[in-house]
Amino acid sequence: MDAALLEQMLLGSLLALSVYLPLRCGQLSLATPGFYAVGGYVAALLSTGVAAFAGSGATSPLPALVAEMVLGGMLAGLIALAIGGPVLRLRGIYLAIATIALVEILRVLNLNLPFTGGAMGIFGIPQPFAHAGGYVLFTLALLALACWLCQRLEAMRLGRAMAAIRDDELAAASVGIDTPRTKLIAFVASAVLAGITGALAAHFFNSWNARAGSFDASITTLAFVVFGGSRFWLGPVLGGLALTALPELLRPVGDLRLILFGAVILLGPLFFPQGLVTAERLRWLAALLRLGRKRGHQAPQAP
Amino acid sequence: MSVGRLLRLGTGLLTLSLLLAGCGSDDTNQPVDVTGGVPVGAVLALTGNANVYGQDQKIGLELALQQRNGSGGINGRPLKLALEDSGSDEPGANAAFTLQINRGVLALIGPTLSQQAFSADPIAQRRGVPVVAPSNTATGIPEIGFFISRVSAESSVIAPLAIERALKIQPGLKRAAVFYAQDDAYSTAETTIFQKALKEKGLEPVTVQRTQLNDQDFQNQISAALREKPDLIVLSLQAVDGGNLIRQLRELGYRGLIVAGNGMNTPNIYPICQKYCDGLLIAQAYSPELDTPANAAFLKAFKAAKGGAIPPQLTAQAYTALQVIGEALARLDKRQPLTGAPLAATRKQLMQELLAGTYATPLGEIRFTPEGEVIQSQFFVAQVRMDPGGRSGRFALLK
Repeated sequence: MDAALLEQMLLGSLLALSVYLPLRCGQLSLATPGFYAVGGYVAALLSTGVAAFAGSGATSPLPALVAEMVLGGMLAGLIALAIGGPVLRLRGIYLAIATIALVEILRVLNLNLPFTGGAMGIFGIPQPFAHAGGYVLFTLALLALACWLCQRLEAMRLGRAMAAIRDDELAAASVGIDTPRTKLIAFVASAVLAGITGALAAHFFNSWNARAGSFDASITTLAFVVFGGSRFWLGPVLGGLALTALPELLRPVGDLRLILFGAVILLGPLFFPQGLVTAERLRWLAALLRLGRKRGHQAPQAP
Repeated sequence: MSVGRLLRLGTGLLTLSLLLAGCGSDDTNQPVDVTGGVPVGAVLALTGNANVYGQDQKIGLELALQQRNGSGGINGRPLKLALEDSGSDEPGANAAFTLQINRGVLALIGPTLSQQAFSADPIAQRRGVPVVAPSNTATGIPEIGFFISRVSAESSVIAPLAIERALKIQPGLKRAAVFYAQDDAYSTAETTIFQKALKEKGLEPVTVQRTQLNDQDFQNQISAALREKPDLIVLSLQAVDGGNLIRQLRELGYRGLIVAGNGMNTPNIYPICQKYCDGLLIAQAYSPELDTPANAAFLKAFKAAKGGAIPPQLTAQAYTALQVIGEALARLDKRQPLTGAPLAATRKQLMQELLAGTYATPLGEIRFTPEGEVIQSQFFVAQVRMDPGGRSGRFALLK
């Protein structure tokens, strides 16, 4: 498989995790592409406008990339913090609509601000890695970190609180969980992750424009989570990897490939309504493996 | 085994496989692979909202390939063209470019949209693969780097011609209204040129209306524009949104002249605006009536393939792009055979060869500047004439 496609898949996974975080406490937020675009603009503007970020060699310095990712994540997080309070009072489909509106507002702003380059966007973004392989390793490390944090969340008080809110917000509030604060933390964490991903993606794609954060992108990232499963972090990761790769892997079938892709998206939720990865399926897989190992041990004793 | 351990194992395996996959392709020292023909790649928008252009371009490439391989290919070895769909967005173009480059193509044709070019061309530039753009008209494309060139003349050269022509048809024009899609690179780049040209002719636009690339309903913008009583409307829109806008413009009662940019320069607008396409003025970088042997051969091949239809500009430009690459490859191969030559060095030599040549193409005789910008001598203006049924029509050249 090609490193560039792999990189796109990993970026897809990171975005899927960003959609997963608010869903983890029952909040359907489609704002991820908006924050992704913001993070990308931060990186694009800094690395094309500030000499220290661009560097002087063939590749731009790695610390500059990390700094851009931190700044991009911070800006996205601050925006989420500022609007999270009022927006998160909405629930379910109303929250989804409000976050779509947020993505639209950010998109129109990005198209019309004097320094974001209009529809053409910003191009000629310097490259921190000479080869796509460098991006892959770097993004893999980032994804591993994000997955580890998500796994830690399962055992943490915050993670338990989020799960409680997802299952029943009223009951969670009545046992003393600060629901507005927990939801806000999830929303901000989602924005930070999307912002960081955007900063990395802007370098990888060479150019950045307002189309990065469109309504279409909202739906695509949501599909990652719906397809992969929203109960456990492995679901969005797999969904992001699979659905980003699929249109490319289907190239040999020619003109039919987008029809097949659509069919997969349609059939996925139809046959796996909870997504590909569920707790039952993981347990079942673990049991299967245990059984396989036992058989393996017994085999030599057989006559 | 607990769920946690299983997960750790799974993550580990995933990481390992991804790592292994990541350390694959490195093509710097490979020789050129000519099994099955001399490899050239094309990346066109065959799906998404720009697919109407990709269709025109695909025919052009097929005809040029036939022509080349029918007359001996690259000194006896056939030219092998791999075509990939880029969709109509940037990640699609990036992925298709990378795929083609990894296949070991010597040169690339595409991508269809300027917006895609700004994203995908730097990949080819970085990996040292010659690109000939058949349809990018935005400012700044050849400037992306040494390996990037185009056969599609920049819109700043062509677009003003249609306005001059409109003034010739109707000298008393006073009130121009301008439309463009504010989220599209081509539209925003071309409208700047149109607006500048209008001002130079003393036609300060009375209103500038912004639309979105994926809009279908333009009633608000049209009503706002018609309140200003314009007698000339200038559009920088792509085929699908532009076609719909013209249709709605006429339905809402506008009777005056309409000038459109390169985005609507395809017969594929006929099914969209139907009888309302009639009278549309569009400047052309290609004329079917150009009387040269190269154009005669192209016309003959196109008419044979498409049942007597007249080729559109995008088809002629795509044909030209592959013709230019074919001729440059043949010259290079004669000087030093391609077989067994190192890939990276051959790509670079091909780019130098490409820029140095002069080509007799359907567009007329063309050359390149050292930057890769096309030098073309003749441009034209056409007016769309629809048949009475409104199903089909033609681009009639204005003399």
